Amino acid sequence: MSYLQVVDTLQSIADGVLFGATYSLLGIGFTLVFGVMHKINLSYAAASIGAAYASLIILSVVKAPAIFIFLLAGIAGGIIGGAIYFVCFRFIPQANPLATLMSTVGALLLIDEIIVHATVGIPVPYPALFSDVIVNAGPFTLRGDLMFMFALGCLSMLLLLGLLYRTKLGLATRAVSQQPAAAQLCGISIPRVNGLTFVITGAVGGIAGAMIGAAIGVLSPLLSLPLTTKGLIVTVIGGLGSIPGAIIAGLLVGGFENLFQYFRGVTERDLYVMLLLFAFLVFRPGGIFSPAAGRN
Amino acid sequence: MDFYLGLAQIVGVHTLLGLSAYCVLLTGQVSLAQAGFFAIGAYVAAMLTVLAGWHIAPALAAASFVAGATACVIGFPALRVKGLMLVVATLAFGEAVRLFFFNFDYQVAKGEVKIGPAGGEGFRQIRFFPENGWSTLDVLMFIWLFVALVMAALWWMDRSRAGAVLRAVGEDEVAAQSAGINVTAVKVAAMTVGGLIAGLGGGIFAHYTAHIEHAQFGVALATFAIAYPILGGLSSVFGTLIAVVFVQGFLIEGLRFLGDWRNLLFGGLILLAMNVRPRGLIDAATIAAIKRMRIRNREPGNARTQGVE
Amino acid sequence: MLELKGLSKHFGGVRAVDGLDLNVPRGEVFGLIGPNGSGKSTVVNLVCGLFPVTAGQVLLRNEDITELASHVRVARGVSRTFQNIRLFGQLSVWQNLWVAQNAIEHRSESFLRRWLGGPGRAREEIDRILEFSDLSGKRDELAGNLAFGEQRRLELARAIVAKPALLLLDEPAAGMNAEEIDQLDARIRKLKQDGLTVLLIEHHMELVMAVTDRIAVLNFGQKIAEGTPDEVQTNRLVQEAYLGVAEAA
Repeated sequence: MSYLQVVDTLQSIADGVLFGATYSLLGIGFTLVFGVMHKINLSYAAASIGAAYASLIILSVVKAPAIFIFLLAGIAGGIIGGAIYFVCFRFIPQANPLATLMSTVGALLLIDEIIVHATVGIPVPYPALFSDVIVNAGPFTLRGDLMFMFALGCLSMLLLLGLLYRTKLGLATRAVSQQPAAAQLCGISIPRVNGLTFVITGAVGGIAGAMIGAAIGVLSPLLSLPLTTKGLIVTVIGGLGSIPGAIIAGLLVGGFENLFQYFRGVTERDLYVMLLLFAFLVFRPGGIFSPAAGRN
Repeated sequence: MDFYLGLAQIVGVHTLLGLSAYCVLLTGQVSLAQAGFFAIGAYVAAMLTVLAGWHIAPALAAASFVAGATACVIGFPALRVKGLMLVVATLAFGEAVRLFFFNFDYQVAKGEVKIGPAGGEGFRQIRFFPENGWSTLDVLMFIWLFVALVMAALWWMDRSRAGAVLRAVGEDEVAAQSAGINVTAVKVAAMTVGGLIAGLGGGIFAHYTAHIEHAQFGVALATFAIAYPILGGLSSVFGTLIAVVFVQGFLIEGLRFLGDWRNLLFGGLILLAMNVRPRGLIDAATIAAIKRMRIRNREPGNARTQGVE
Repeated sequence: MLELKGLSKHFGGVRAVDGLDLNVPRGEVFGLIGPNGSGKSTVVNLVCGLFPVTAGQVLLRNEDITELASHVRVARGVSRTFQNIRLFGQLSVWQNLWVAQNAIEHRSESFLRRWLGGPGRAREEIDRILEFSDLSGKRDELAGNLAFGEQRRLELARAIVAKPALLLLDEPAAGMNAEEIDQLDARIRKLKQDGLTVLLIEHHMELVMAVTDRIAVLNFGQKIAEGTPDEVQTNRLVQEAYLGVAEAA
């Protein structure tokens, strides 16, 4: 490979890793819900995009500077997350995983259709911050918007980890994920913890949705299914229930995705991402950081 | 009238798709790969009738076999992946199949025209039915013949020991193992049968739509595949059939009454259904009640002594 | 019938079973007792194949079954019940027994008959077991809807459907009242009469002393005593294990 090709390859990996911060956030959302409730919320990516749409609406009403849109998306995401907990999980018996899975599918369809109706099916432009900022580091160019996204993603992850490991709510969440019965006996309200988990992951998802919108420049309901797939893949590669795993897996998938795209083009790119997942499933089914397996 | 015949065709094919997921779901494996096996069946059957000139019956048999064999191969690594990870793994497999066909180009020149699967454009001109003079009614009866056969087979299985064993594995693998059941064999067998049925459905689908492309076999179809048995209830094959009739009827026929809002309401309806009846439309309690009604009707004199259980 | 040689199971640092040697003669009812956490249930899980051993051997009729999968061991003649009842709640009582027909005689039937045949052929055999377990009237009832005592009886019934030579009972009397325990006692004696070998894990001392021929006592994964019920009852080590050592005055 020539020098230029090496540079281009590294460039595409770097860009991919920066974008991968988005996947990390989505992966965290999926994995946190799984860790606490042992359920998958299939509507998560759609809800994140929905929160991004909502932030646009709120921004046009509130007329704040564009940078606040991420905060708004986070708030919208949290509200949507709480609503999803209420309709999909609160009243369905937890012993029935098929029913809750199906209900999240219903929620996904509902959110997608609401978006389609509200936007009449036309993709909507999203403020792309710092898109004109380019930093040159030697032969590499670092896009300002990607770097901002990455920084925002890191900030969100730090806030989330702080919440989980330094607050009482976080402690309660971790208790419920490990031993729900014992946690209840200690006075922890499981529905409240579960609901709050959804609100928190919803907020994280909202930020992720806004980040995606900012990176691509457009929002469209067609994003939700591919993002759901990618998010789930990140979750599995990282290890179901492991947040550090989701973080690393997100960056990994982002980097590899761009790498595949550079070598094989857009149409074949996703196929290789699937193969990456299968490779993990075959050689390391627990994921990067499989949480400790208990006794039988 | 043709509209309703068309609707009946869709219901038939989707019932096969739903039944393929029903088999696998009984063993406790949630598989989003059924759309992938469906796609394999579609492309294989279509290529055999269009490119190799086969009659549709052997083409369907071959398509079913290939899909079933793929399912069997997938079944083994799927064992290593438990619970919800299986959902993701099968989802990825289904997507991989779709992406494969997205990139699959195998065109053969017939005269001056090129026919065959053309990557993103899909596979056009699958014209076995019109070329051989089949009317819409003929096709409809053909579809429902298979649906009836598959439903009868699965209904029989449910009453036999195989059905009970499948469900036992789905309920408690450890207890099943300890009772002497070879859980591995049962799960792979269920996956294989699911693949066979999905392949059959896909092959039929390719021929009555005459044009297939990768986008039809995506996550949406995979989700519908498991939605039917879940919504209909896993206690009976008829639940799946009723769910298909309702869903497809609602989505297609509902266009008339609800217009564009039908998709919105569909999502809401699923939410409502799962909250109100999490075990599906026909669950074990319903079947028990039906049985009691039939016993009561058969022995009218004993109605009083039966009592309420 | 059953021989354990140097059987060990370690979970990380915890030695649940530590170098256990045991010999259960054919046709005996053999008790396995010990304080909580002494490894009794683990022994059952090792013998029936749910856990892989860390070291040692499990021999059934002098044949090494240590590496065999669970369902294969059932065909060889090992059956078990669970301490926490693990029935197939959504299946009927009849179906719970039907799926357990996995003895070698059953497997040698033709594939079609065994898997796709209707309930007719198996009726006689299962009906007999239903009667033995006093569940004849509940044949079509969903297992999850049974009363606790009935579930315990079904758990035992399911274990004997596969015509075992060795029956492992994991705390079968837990949660039973006196009358139910008497019935359990009678059933175990009847099974012994029919030639079964029984390994009984129990906390209920009256039952153990009444129905067993010999007893082994475990503590911290090791055997600390073995003998007839009388011998074990008066053994000082056993008393210390259960009650603790008296403080020197």
